[in-house]
Amino acid sequence: MAPTVPTAAKSASPSQPSGKSEVADLKQQLRQLAGSRAPDADDQRRDVFKRVISCMTAGIDVSAAFGEMVLCSATSDVVTKKMCYLYVGAHARAHPDLALLTINFLQRDCRDQDPTIRGLALRSLCSLRVPNLVEYLVTPLTTGLKDPSAYVRMIAAVGAAKLYHISATACLDADLPASLKALMLSDPDAQVVANCLHALQEIWTLEAANSEAAAREIETLYSKPVVFYLLNRIKEFSEWAQCTILELASKFLPSDNNEIFDIMNLLEDRLQHANGAVVLATIKVFLHLTMSMTDVHQQVYERLKAPLLTLVGAGSPEQSYSVLCHLHLLVLRAPMLFSSDYKSFYCQYSEPSYVKKLKLEMLTAIANESNTYEIVTELCEYAGNVDVPIARESIRAVGKIALQQYDVNAIVDRLLQFLEMDKDYVTAETLVLVKDLLRKYPQWSHDCIAVVGNISSKNIQEPKGKAALIWMLGEYSQDMHDAPYILEGLVENWDEENSPEVRLHLLTAVMKCFFKRPPETQKALGATLAAGISDTHQDVHDRALFYYRLLQYDPSVAERVVNPPKQAVSVFADTQSSEMKDRIFDEFNSLSVVYQKPSYMFTDKEHRGPFEYSEDLTNLTVGAEDPENVISAQRYQENDNDLLLSTSDKEDSGTRASNGSSTSSYNAPSDLISSQPLVETTPMNAGGPTSSSLSNFSLDDLLGLGVTESPAPLPPPALTLNSKPVLDPGTFQRKWGQLALSLTQECSLSPQGAASLMNPQSLVRHMQSCSIQCIASGGQPPNYKFFFYAQKDGDTAFFLVECIINTASAKAQLKLKADDGTASEAFSTLFQSALSKFGHL
Amino acid sequence: MLQCIFLLSDSGEVMVEKQMTAHRVDRAICGWFWDYVVAHAAGDPSKVVVSPTHYLFQIYRNGVTFLACTQVEMPPLMAIEFLSRVADVLTDYLGDLNEDIVKDNFVIVYQILDEMVDNGFPLTTEPNILKEMVAPPNIVNKMMNVVTGKSTTLGSKLPDATASFVPWRTTVVKDASNEVYVNIVEELDACINREGSLVKCEAYGEIQVNCSLPGVPELTMSFANPAIINDFTFHPCVRFRPWESNQILSFVPPDGQFKLMSYRVKKLKKTPIYVKPQLTSDSGNCRVNVMVGTRNDPGKPIDSITVQFQLPPLIVSADLTANYGTVDILADKTCLWTIGHIPKDKAPCLTGNLRLEEGLAHLHTLPTFQVKFRIMGVALSGLQIDKLEVKNTPSAPYKGFRAQTQAGKYEIRS
Repeated sequence: MAPTVPTAAKSASPSQPSGKSEVADLKQQLRQLAGSRAPDADDQRRDVFKRVISCMTAGIDVSAAFGEMVLCSATSDVVTKKMCYLYVGAHARAHPDLALLTINFLQRDCRDQDPTIRGLALRSLCSLRVPNLVEYLVTPLTTGLKDPSAYVRMIAAVGAAKLYHISATACLDADLPASLKALMLSDPDAQVVANCLHALQEIWTLEAANSEAAAREIETLYSKPVVFYLLNRIKEFSEWAQCTILELASKFLPSDNNEIFDIMNLLEDRLQHANGAVVLATIKVFLHLTMSMTDVHQQVYERLKAPLLTLVGAGSPEQSYSVLCHLHLLVLRAPMLFSSDYKSFYCQYSEPSYVKKLKLEMLTAIANESNTYEIVTELCEYAGNVDVPIARESIRAVGKIALQQYDVNAIVDRLLQFLEMDKDYVTAETLVLVKDLLRKYPQWSHDCIAVVGNISSKNIQEPKGKAALIWMLGEYSQDMHDAPYILEGLVENWDEENSPEVRLHLLTAVMKCFFKRPPETQKALGATLAAGISDTHQDVHDRALFYYRLLQYDPSVAERVVNPPKQAVSVFADTQSSEMKDRIFDEFNSLSVVYQKPSYMFTDKEHRGPFEYSEDLTNLTVGAEDPENVISAQRYQENDNDLLLSTSDKEDSGTRASNGSSTSSYNAPSDLISSQPLVETTPMNAGGPTSSSLSNFSLDDLLGLGVTESPAPLPPPALTLNSKPVLDPGTFQRKWGQLALSLTQECSLSPQGAASLMNPQSLVRHMQSCSIQCIASGGQPPNYKFFFYAQKDGDTAFFLVECIINTASAKAQLKLKADDGTASEAFSTLFQSALSKFGHL
Repeated sequence: MLQCIFLLSDSGEVMVEKQMTAHRVDRAICGWFWDYVVAHAAGDPSKVVVSPTHYLFQIYRNGVTFLACTQVEMPPLMAIEFLSRVADVLTDYLGDLNEDIVKDNFVIVYQILDEMVDNGFPLTTEPNILKEMVAPPNIVNKMMNVVTGKSTTLGSKLPDATASFVPWRTTVVKDASNEVYVNIVEELDACINREGSLVKCEAYGEIQVNCSLPGVPELTMSFANPAIINDFTFHPCVRFRPWESNQILSFVPPDGQFKLMSYRVKKLKKTPIYVKPQLTSDSGNCRVNVMVGTRNDPGKPIDSITVQFQLPPLIVSADLTANYGTVDILADKTCLWTIGHIPKDKAPCLTGNLRLEEGLAHLHTLPTFQVKFRIMGVALSGLQIDKLEVKNTPSAPYKGFRAQTQAGKYEIRS
């Protein structure tokens, strides 16, 4: 990607020069000014610097003038200095040799009388980021941390973190973290304390991968003395520093309830802060602290409602959207607590559609006996909305509420009114809903059929709506007078029907109709089967052939397959698993909430926030042994795509599964078989765990079962493990997605083992000594989660284990997946024995 | 933690680039972002955008897009609030905020950003303190530049407020004119359905204070009816205890203009204005009739009334006239009826006819009418300031009070 800065168009403006000649000209002028002692040299210099910076901003490469800029840098004018620092900071990395020239004047400025100059110089010095200049950095930083001016100390604290990024050893050798820690616990200036905290978090988080000492240091940051010290001073801090401290507090584990209430009392007024970031950080603390106390947790929700609703309503659209996402999460978690506030979620016409969408989901979630009528009335108003996607969403929302059981009677009437609105998309959406409703409440069939029967299939263009209508025609052909004839009409237009989904439904519907009203349908059935068998679409072809052979084999069997007595569906499969929602909830007040995905699905492990270390290990955060620290942008984009793919696929298979479950009692076999070709035709993306792997899943399972039942399983002792297996996280993640679960087991830990888990790294090392490697770990006491892998010696087959340990109950849950299912039993025994030895050493 | 901040102009040009961490963000991201905005988010720039390489936060103010990039998981509101603050501070500094002003003052913008954020973490964001570190470009400065040929945009000494316990106020305020002005500004959000009944009505209010008092003054303010407030947020200067026990606002104010408090009043029952739209469609024509008038007289004149609605998509032509005010049909098929204030002698009425497209007998999508108005001198939520006491000043200051209500999202469905 080239920078797309339209420089040419702007060349007319004097502040936006362009081109090479300009740079040459600037160089020339700088050279002249370099030695000049003329009285107005300072002003001229400032002007030229200004032009250089403006060129730089416009995207012109001005690095050629580096030498000249440095020559001119000896000036007493502060603004010129600042511009010079800015320039040098931007280009020093490209010119490490010339950057050396700037060191001199920066070091001199670091000793200036004016604290402003000292601070600025120190900041610029640390921002050069040239590795071979590190030696010049340490001394100014150490003195800077002891500077009498808070301004300089605050810059020095951040400087220490910058130094760590340039050269970790230099930073650690100078023992800067220790000075930072001392400063953090004693400095009178709140901003210095905050900056020390930032720097320490950054340094120790990165260092924790290499040394245990750093991991312990991190734990001390979350310890009671530090957290309470910071919380007691919280009002002195700037609002941003407050956010950091609150984040820290949300990781703190109080030892008893009194501590929890102390913290909450101390922080309660933060909920009234004008800065939304502070409010949300406080909310996170409250939610996390009260996790274990159900009743208090509920009170917290009650307390949070008003501040959140206010933030949504005030603020700019950007702010209110982010807050709304968080509110959305909370509403979906505890809908009943928000049910009286339903009016707050009414959509306003002028709101952007993404806001409306969230609001609709919340309205759906909070509907209960008391407010359903109002909510549905409101939603019906949106159905006539100019914004078509929102109109669709609202109809779906009405349907979802209907499926949630309340006041179905009135809702069915409303839905049927939609059908009379005579708008194609409204009709299509409504038909899909009526179909789902009938699957759940067959008792409504009479009312619905009467209305649905009046709809002409010609008016429906959308495949989903059409498919729903056809399904109803087939299912209720005995009640609908002219069902066979409508179907017949549809079959005649078989070739014009573009959507295979509709054709599939048509096939099944005609079959069903045939068994209910044979004489009227026979002709249509013949035509349908003929058309189906000659269809170019594989699924349609296969299903038609299957029906044909089934009928040939025995019509009564065919009837049992196609038209069995059916049961109402009780629950439809949910699209997002509750586990996922829990994980997003754990990451409250982070991007995960806005994206509605847990962070491991979109953030690369390298770029987790500074606090992630002990947080959520399920994310496949990668253990210390991972050699590969740099992953290219492309790569995580790919990753992202994979994940997107897999989720959408999951959704597909979810709905499919729901179809399956609903139909399982009446035409399960046909569905099973018909879904088989579907799976085969889905493109097999190399990367994405497509549904094919899902279906392999069950096959694998079957196979695996067969093998374990076979009389000669491998004797357990035969299994030895490769002591140095290599598996990178990406492959692990992929394998985990693809492989079927071969074993789940629960086992218990020794009490000593549970106690030693206070430091999860120790388990990782212990397992390593048993040739079982950890690829990711995480969690908060009492729940830890680990991902292990091991490889069979002299084989390529891997074993993957997800191990959830609860230290309170000293129980571990194992989920084992293996390339070679036959050995999984043996491996499990080995794993458990290794685990049970933990803590005995 | 933020890795980089860009300021983009209306045409996607990079005006200011501020790198903050060791990881250098390539400015190509701006090009990518701009293409995305142009392609996807026309007229709706406030979207969450995932770029191939970074997470982007953007806010849009007066033609300037503030774009922040990060690769790290972080609280989204922190980023957005911070960008809003940057925008506010720049507006405060430069008097206004637009493309030209930013370009003319980019050196100051760089200086401010330098003090506001370090290594990706927000640092000093209080305008009062910033102004001591980076002098604003005022007329006096400009004059000095011209006259003496020299200029200092940097304060010579460091502010001592970084260590002060009232970070929002400098310890010595000079040239204070000894006045304090309190302004209640409310926005009324309402939604009225086609039967004319109120679906919901809420007021969002702000108390803005402009304070010019010498020394370290102590202010206390109380309301006649604090109970009506549903929820509130305070400026950091407000002490929480007095409010909790007696609903009294007690604070040491910052110098200059600031937002003391914002609040929300739910479940209001009265709207000051009615709009009655009637649309009847028959055989390809739709008669429109919209009446506007005052209701529940607020006691002060209502002005700047406009009624706006989107014409339905399937009409061929529209012929709309009003007996008062002007009717414009804008390019995006929005009908804007500017009324101003309601005359004494007649009720404003918009009438006309919409021709529907061929083959369409009835109108299916009915427009929503958005109403704007302003009422000076009254806060419609009914919130009233009881008294304002100023202590710790050498002489009694002048105190001024104002109130104003305007329509926020005030919608009438038809």
